[in-house]
Amino acid sequence: MSERVVECRDVSRTYDDDAVPVHALRGVDFELAAGEWVSLAGPSGSGKSTLLHVIGGLDQPSAGSVVVDGVEVTTLSAAQLSDLRLNKIGFVFQAYNLIPVLSALENVEFILQLQGVDRVERRSRSREALDSLGLSDLENRRPGEMSGGQQQRVAIARAIVAEPVLLLADEPSANLDTSTTRELLDLLQTLNRDRGVTILTATHDPMVMSYTTRQVNLQDGTVVGDNT
Amino acid sequence: MPVGMLLQLSWRNIWRHRRRNAILLSAIAIAVAGVMLLNTMMRGMQQDLMNTAIENLTGHVKVLDPGYLDDPGIERGFEVADGWQSALPDHVRGWAMRIRVPAVVTSERETRGIQLVGVDPARESISFLGDAAVSGQRLSGPGDSRLLIGGLLAEALDTAAGRRLVLVTQGADGRTREAGFRIAGVYRAEIAGLEKAFVFTGLGALQRLLGTDEITEISIRLDGDEFEAATTAGLAGSFRDQDVMSWRQLEPQAASMVEVSDITIYILFVIVMGALTFGLVNTLVTAVMERLRELGMLRAIGMRPRVVVAQVVVESSAIMAMGVTTGLTMAAGIFALVADGIDLTAFDDSLASFGMRPTFVPVFDFRDVVLVAVLSLILGAISSFYPARRAVKIKPLEALRR
Repeated sequence: MSERVVECRDVSRTYDDDAVPVHALRGVDFELAAGEWVSLAGPSGSGKSTLLHVIGGLDQPSAGSVVVDGVEVTTLSAAQLSDLRLNKIGFVFQAYNLIPVLSALENVEFILQLQGVDRVERRSRSREALDSLGLSDLENRRPGEMSGGQQQRVAIARAIVAEPVLLLADEPSANLDTSTTRELLDLLQTLNRDRGVTILTATHDPMVMSYTTRQVNLQDGTVVGDNT
Repeated sequence: MPVGMLLQLSWRNIWRHRRRNAILLSAIAIAVAGVMLLNTMMRGMQQDLMNTAIENLTGHVKVLDPGYLDDPGIERGFEVADGWQSALPDHVRGWAMRIRVPAVVTSERETRGIQLVGVDPARESISFLGDAAVSGQRLSGPGDSRLLIGGLLAEALDTAAGRRLVLVTQGADGRTREAGFRIAGVYRAEIAGLEKAFVFTGLGALQRLLGTDEITEISIRLDGDEFEAATTAGLAGSFRDQDVMSWRQLEPQAASMVEVSDITIYILFVIVMGALTFGLVNTLVTAVMERLRELGMLRAIGMRPRVVVAQVVVESSAIMAMGVTTGLTMAAGIFALVADGIDLTAFDDSLASFGMRPTFVPVFDFRDVVLVAVLSLILGAISSFYPARRAVKIKPLEALRR
């Protein structure tokens, strides 16, 4: 069996903010092997984004164990979680979330700057990442000067430039039209097949699901199906 | 800590909201320039008060007989040993020996009480007498037995240069001395009160009149106030039977006004910059709240909490630094326009009552530049603490959901 990148055991997440507790996850068991591209699917409120955030260290489970690349996430401090996200996980958000005052190249470089990579190396690696996604001509453009699809590709370049063990994409096609979504998925497929990038996607878009190698269905916070 | 990245991001963020930050920068610059110019005024007033006190025949340091201040007279005189000057340290601009005794002066029409001062005119460059405008003639030397009187006294006595006055004072033997003196010249002083108070004659001539070889004071002018303590200490050993006093002891009112103006400078700074700090905090909090989602994203992709804090602090410090630099430049420019002095002759009488001159010269003190710059930057860093705390409390997920 391939090396496990993610291992969730009996993970629950309950939100107590409102008068009535909301059980977003209920005893979820989930594993993700290196090189897989898995989609977490399900209707709104099924818990797919919550599971993605728990795995990414953006949210803490109420109970259970989450291990990412051999590290138990639930016991980490805020600073340790930051380091985990910085060094092991790449994020692609629904709304791109690029830094508006930085150019495409600088946005990609940003992660490497946080990691303390020296200027020459980070510039070279950032250009390489942009080039691999067909963005060489746009490196000096700021987010406001790019289309949604271009911004999402820059976000992917930023997510992969630090060579994370896991790429998390939360509804990556939500703000894109069909043809741009297809281009984006082709790109992710190339990264997964050719470079072995492990990808976990939360989506309810059938087109996204059709590209993934495995589909895990959630409903009311529990896993109801796991199809390869 | 990725310092280069923080500086780059902060610099770009400052330019992101040009209008808002331009208003904030202007407020900082105007406040800093205002505080700095107020400081130059206060320093000018301080300097003026000090100079007036020192030039008013006091000097930075004075040697007197104990008891002279309570009962001034020639019986409080003392002799000076040869070579006493060897006790003077460096940084002495000049010194003068004098006799100063109370006397009554009478013209054909009026009588006034005055201070009769015997001087060596060549040594009086250390006092206001050195620069005073004189109509008629100056005293020629210590043996000159003519008088130099103030303009206002001449008016009061209805007399003028070339005419005679009668002076009555007490001699060294305790007996009254009365003699007629010719007026060599009439002096004008910047402080009007001096013209009424002091009548000068030659030191040797006055000693002859009083029947003594003694003097009542040695006044010492230094290159700066900072040398006063060392000079006082140095002279105390040579004048064991006399009091060696600083101008602060001799002119306590002026000295306390100088100290009060020092405190006023700090109070003004705290009030103005304190008020400005609220504006800075408000703007920074607004900037943080506007960028909640962005800051949440930065946290999500791995920016450590302390780096987020550093970014807010660097940003506010950069705004403060730009504002302070602009403000100091403005202050220097405005100062250059008034550096030669501001003519306040219209308020001459009021100023004279405070012992100030009619031409007010502001003083640009480099220590104030450092004080304003350093304290402003510290205030900027402190004021960024609250918004930085807000920024670091942002939960990445909550921010991203906004």
